[in-house]
Amino acid sequence: MRRALGALLAAALVAGVALFVHRPGPVDAQGGGTVEVAVTYNGAPVVEKLKINKDTQQCGTEAEVDRVMVGSNKGLANAVVSVPTAKGAPRMVKATVDQHGCKFVPHVSAMMPGELELKNSDGILHNIHTYSTVNPSINKAQPKFKKVMTEKLEKPEFVKLTCDVHSWMLGWVAVLPTPFFGVTDANGTAKIENVPAGKQTVEVWHETLGKQTREVEVKAGQVAKVGIEMKK
Amino acid sequence: MTVGHSGHPDYTGLAGSPSPARRFALVALIVLVFVGAGIGSAFAQAGDAQAGKLVYERKCALCHGEKGDGKGPAAELLVPKPRDFTTGVYKIRTTANKVPTDRDLFRVITDGMPGTSMPSWAVLPEKDRWNLVAHLKTLAPDTFKEAPKKLELPKEVASSPESIRRGKEMYEAIECNKCHGTDGRADGPSRPELKDDWGNPIAPANLTMPWRFRGGSAPVDVATRLANGVVGTPMPSFIDSVEKPEDVWHLANYILSLGPRTLTYATLVSVTNVSDAIPDDPDAAFWKAIAPNHIALLGQVIVDPRNFNPSIDLVSVRAVYHDKEIAFHLTWDDPMQSVEDAAKKTYADAISLQFPPQPRPGPERPYFLMGDASDGVYLLRWQNGKGVTEATANGPTKIVPLAGSEATAKAVYANGQYRLVIKRPLASKHPDRLTFQPAVFTPVAFQAWDGGAGETGTKMSLTSWYYLRLEEPQSNRRFVVPPVVAILTFAALLLVVRVANRRA
Repeated sequence: MRRALGALLAAALVAGVALFVHRPGPVDAQGGGTVEVAVTYNGAPVVEKLKINKDTQQCGTEAEVDRVMVGSNKGLANAVVSVPTAKGAPRMVKATVDQHGCKFVPHVSAMMPGELELKNSDGILHNIHTYSTVNPSINKAQPKFKKVMTEKLEKPEFVKLTCDVHSWMLGWVAVLPTPFFGVTDANGTAKIENVPAGKQTVEVWHETLGKQTREVEVKAGQVAKVGIEMKK
Repeated sequence: MTVGHSGHPDYTGLAGSPSPARRFALVALIVLVFVGAGIGSAFAQAGDAQAGKLVYERKCALCHGEKGDGKGPAAELLVPKPRDFTTGVYKIRTTANKVPTDRDLFRVITDGMPGTSMPSWAVLPEKDRWNLVAHLKTLAPDTFKEAPKKLELPKEVASSPESIRRGKEMYEAIECNKCHGTDGRADGPSRPELKDDWGNPIAPANLTMPWRFRGGSAPVDVATRLANGVVGTPMPSFIDSVEKPEDVWHLANYILSLGPRTLTYATLVSVTNVSDAIPDDPDAAFWKAIAPNHIALLGQVIVDPRNFNPSIDLVSVRAVYHDKEIAFHLTWDDPMQSVEDAAKKTYADAISLQFPPQPRPGPERPYFLMGDASDGVYLLRWQNGKGVTEATANGPTKIVPLAGSEATAKAVYANGQYRLVIKRPLASKHPDRLTFQPAVFTPVAFQAWDGGAGETGTKMSLTSWYYLRLEEPQSNRRFVVPPVVAILTFAALLLVVRVANRRA
């Protein structure tokens, strides 16, 4: 009896592992195509500046917060692009945000529901204070000796990161329901690879300019280009 | 689980050691309470939300709003703002998750929140308070779907010099000073930037005034706030952010060493007679030997523009005099030293002492708010950057400086605190300047302005009239007269005995 149960358990375990291994993943060049998104903005960059009265050794004397960062050819940086209609296995990569120079680096990061790693390379007190609605809000101190902290963000949402000690510090973490995402670079472009072929929706989100979506036809082994202009 | 009267020894009023005569009654009462707990716990546990709603509408809605959204008619005048119960965000919790226990809510209702507009509602029957708890929970059903999870604190560490030392070390290592200031007076460099989760400016706690701690000042309260943070405010959770978990206790012990647990406010300002020269320096050791008179100040809300949320609510006064001079040593907390600056919209920090212009017999005094047209007051005013002036006033907007001031002053500002010495000759020939007389009750009142918080003119904090009394010089007669009387009495007794013996 016990042996039978053991065998059954072993079989179940093997089956489970096999199932996990064979789960269809996004990394499948044959079945997927690439989506290249170019996000532009028709307005001027917005930079907030303020004088710093403390921790000037780490933070400098003037803080610059890029609320809207526009690069060459009107390219909009720091926009999150994703294909929410495409399903795939979760990318088990933690997002990592560093607190460096009294800034969240990167300013915008994207992840699937899971763990967010927070680094404090400044070596001074910061506090991670998140603003969210579906995830529980976090407000945890990260003193100089606490180099790394790990927090959970388990539901898709755009989470705002702030630090009350340095009120100008601002960052965003996009928790997305799909593994197909990217964040636009300084030129406003992002490349999402291995997107399953077929009709898909591309979503763009920006912290101050909101959201937009575009339909796109993804063909296996090809690059589908999407241009999206964000407006004031 | 929060149940019945018996489950809440703090609130039963049965504490203390009863006399034997009362013991029976007490036992009977306890038995009654236990028996009654069956009925009692029914409402204590669950509370009657419907009944609670009725109490809420009568007692709470004015500030917290009919719907519990914190938007009652009085809300706009209050700082901090009344809680929006619909968000289910509660500052004072003993739980590790965001859900407070029923008892946490009951405690805030019962004790109020010191330092805010939330008073103690211990006047309400206990049943009503439990019903209120039940009603509050219906306002944020999503929050209370989850069960409260008790916060496990490390084993309590009793206060000791070692613990306080370790707490200070941690205070510096985790940089509490960034908001709370080096000496805990809420004057840290991040103070002006702080906002709550709703975007309202919020001040850090002044750690030298534990009687104003929102969630109580017992070591366990302080350790819990540190461990949990204060949700909805910039105060983060530190339970995972200290070197060792027990550091929360060392920190609590250090914080509670920064100021007295409670304060006894003065009813009379006594002025000590001294024979030595009175030092100008507010930090001279001389002043530490003089007992302070703690004076509570309130916002000026009679004349427009009013000051509903005064910055300064306490001034500690040490006063001395000798045959030529009188001196006032004033200590008060102000988070930022400021002078008049139109660009920054700040004004000079200031303080003033108010007296009638002349001693007068009888209880009649000028109007406490700087006098009126027919009966003025005499002011000793100090303003940061300008120094001390003497003035007469016939109301808060009619202040006329007196020429040829005889007063001098010296101020020190450090780590969120002013210490000031104002001196003046005891007597004055000028009819508008009070001559101080020993052993006479002289009316005195105080006004203070935090210029950095935009206080100027009628936007001040103030007191009504107090009395000042110059204590009479202590003569040595009390050491001489009683022994002489005793010796004379004894001698007389001996004489009587001797005469009686001789006759017999």
